[in-house]
Amino acid sequence: MPSILEVNNLVKKYGDFTAVKGISFDIREGEIFSLLGPNGAGKTTTISMLSTLYDPTDGDAVIAGHSIKKYPMAVRQVIGVVPQDLALYEELTARENLEFWGQMYGLGGKPLASRIDEVLEQIGLTDKAKNRVKTYSGGMKRRVNIGVGLLHKPRLLFMDEPTVGIDPQSRRAILDTVKALNAQGMTVLYTTHYMEEAAELSNRVGIIDHGELIALGTQDELTRQVGQTDTLLLHIGEEEDPEALSTALRGLPGVQNADVSDHTVSIITPSAEDILAAVVAKANERGIKIRSLDIREPNLEAVFLHLTGRALRD
Amino acid sequence: MRKILAIIIKDAIMRFSGFSELLFFIILPIIFTFLLAGGTPSGDEDARIRLLVVDEAQTALSAQIVSELAASSAVRPEVVSRADAEEQFSQRRASSIFIIPAGLDTASLQEGTAAVDFRQQPNNLNASIAQRAIQTALRRVSSAVSAANTAVSQREEAMPFASDAEKAAYFDQSLELARELQEDTPQRVTVIRAATPDQVEYDPRANSSAGQLITWVFIPLFGISELFAYERATGTLRRLLTTPTRKATYLLGTISGQVLMAIVQMLLLVGFGILVMKLAWGRDPLALAVMLVCSALAAAAIGSAMGAFVKTSGQANGLSIMLGMVMALMGGCWYPIELFPPAIQTFVKVLPTTWAMQGMLDLVLRGGGLVDILPEAGVLLGFAAVFFAVGVWRFRYE
Ligand SMILES: Nc1ncnc2c1ncn2[C@@H]1O[C@H](COP(=O)(O)OP(=O)(O)OP(=O)(O)O)[C@@H](O)[C@H]1O
Ligand SMILES: [Mg+2]
Repeated sequence: MPSILEVNNLVKKYGDFTAVKGISFDIREGEIFSLLGPNGAGKTTTISMLSTLYDPTDGDAVIAGHSIKKYPMAVRQVIGVVPQDLALYEELTARENLEFWGQMYGLGGKPLASRIDEVLEQIGLTDKAKNRVKTYSGGMKRRVNIGVGLLHKPRLLFMDEPTVGIDPQSRRAILDTVKALNAQGMTVLYTTHYMEEAAELSNRVGIIDHGELIALGTQDELTRQVGQTDTLLLHIGEEEDPEALSTALRGLPGVQNADVSDHTVSIITPSAEDILAAVVAKANERGIKIRSLDIREPNLEAVFLHLTGRALRD
Repeated sequence: MRKILAIIIKDAIMRFSGFSELLFFIILPIIFTFLLAGGTPSGDEDARIRLLVVDEAQTALSAQIVSELAASSAVRPEVVSRADAEEQFSQRRASSIFIIPAGLDTASLQEGTAAVDFRQQPNNLNASIAQRAIQTALRRVSSAVSAANTAVSQREEAMPFASDAEKAAYFDQSLELARELQEDTPQRVTVIRAATPDQVEYDPRANSSAGQLITWVFIPLFGISELFAYERATGTLRRLLTTPTRKATYLLGTISGQVLMAIVQMLLLVGFGILVMKLAWGRDPLALAVMLVCSALAAAAIGSAMGAFVKTSGQANGLSIMLGMVMALMGGCWYPIELFPPAIQTFVKVLPTTWAMQGMLDLVLRGGGLVDILPEAGVLLGFAAVFFAVGVWRFRYE
């Protein structure tokens, strides 16, 4: 497959601060490519440059044959953008929003009207199209936000953390929409800090941290880098002290690392099965009750931890 | 073009999405215009301003000046003694007094050296009006005198007078004739109810209609800054600039939309002025159109320039209202500019509202036409050019 996007050494400085430090990657026509990284990694800055909103400080990118620096207007015809923060007119109805943005993409008349019907169908808001966006739930607004980016059937769709801050049901709907769009032939650049989303959606993943692309490849290629490690997740009751448990577990042989998030202790180990008995015994000894446990094979979270020494969400 | 239209429609829907906008668009402006015009003066009562006159000359000439004042529709002269006048003035029971000194004669009046004495309470509108009325009376008497003088000298050239007495009689006769002729001269501007000397530049209804029109149209046009700030905050401006739409298209659409809405609003208010307030807005439609468009452009330009500097839409909103109010007040939209101290009258020339107001008054009060408003229109276009340049140059999308 040929590349629809080639990024060459893209740099963005805000004053003295370098938010994106010379990243390069390419996206092939028809794939879903995820940029996975924690808050402040430089995902939005990268997308802003690729969508011709910011001038890169250095480097360039070529989208469908057009340089983002030299031919921004040609690039804008090819791309659709779903910004991280909602960018809608709340006083307008969903349909009025779609009409306005459709016209900004140069559409109009009957073709636009029927395209709006299709998009409303796709985002599941046909019934509510005549209500003002300000009356919508967060999830519905997110879906309109996505719909706007689809109107002109872009070859390449940028989606910047489209599932942030919404309920699981809406999230599911959005992930399914992304897959459906991709199945229809749309290439997608998807950014997220949810490892699961990157894993579920993408053909290839780029991991970005502090403005640098620290890993790039398919999920298999990336997890292989980590070596043969498992993640063992221990879910404990709310009344228990996870810090105490993780501290105790760190001393056990075979435990490479133990980390806490909410009421879960995650342990990185070469083999979860081998240490399981010892872990449970240790918890009993401390009087901490384990409610349930999960074993995860190597995943992107582990890759990130391996590369940076930090959890993806901190 | 389609994009510009789409932007205009979008902005119109957003602006009129609530009832309250109608309140500010037309309802409140009409109520204010009506109230500040003071309604209509009631039937028979003499609405003229009382003017104390002290006649120390006691000549035919001074009597003529007093009768000229009495004929004015703006003032009602009341001849009193100097002591009485000064007492009333010092107790602020009289807004102004006019003293005709003993030495006043035709020569000094003609040469403009006549030292009449006019005293007025500070910053008093009635006093300003009285002053204008006096100037007019003096001018009318003086021009009658000069007409009579011309008649005398022409007669003298043709056939010298037999005696000084005959010459004086001829002069008096000519003066009387000149005054009769003057009486028949049609007068140009109407004030309150009757014909008025053309120097009085105040009519509560015309001033209210023009002043309120400017006030209520300038504020929402300054509000273009709020629109920019709002679109920056919601991220719609950023999104717009990832679509194949140019910055210039956005600016043109946004600004022309608000200017169009302002013109509709102004036409409604002008319509109210013509139909309800019986004002002569419609005398020169072309000149009126030029004034309305130039005023709207100047205000829109200032709004655009403000839009580049404000941080939040709340800040923009507050600033638009505050600036709009201050500029309206200082520009003479609420009180006639003649009431301000001279230094301030000069200073307020830096405000677009001053020029807009003067242009509107040229049309609705002074009976002017296209030629008369060209200077004001030109200055307003200058404001527009400068502020649009700043607005476009400093335009930010986040
Ligand atoms: N306009 C700006 N001026 C200065 N610094 C900025 C600006 N925008 C972003 N930054 C900084 O650049 C870095 C990258 O920000 P960016 O928004 O690209 O990260 P992100 O990966 O999208 O994060 P998030 O997951 O929170 O959206 C951050 O440290 C941020 O504080
Ligand atoms: Mg971001």
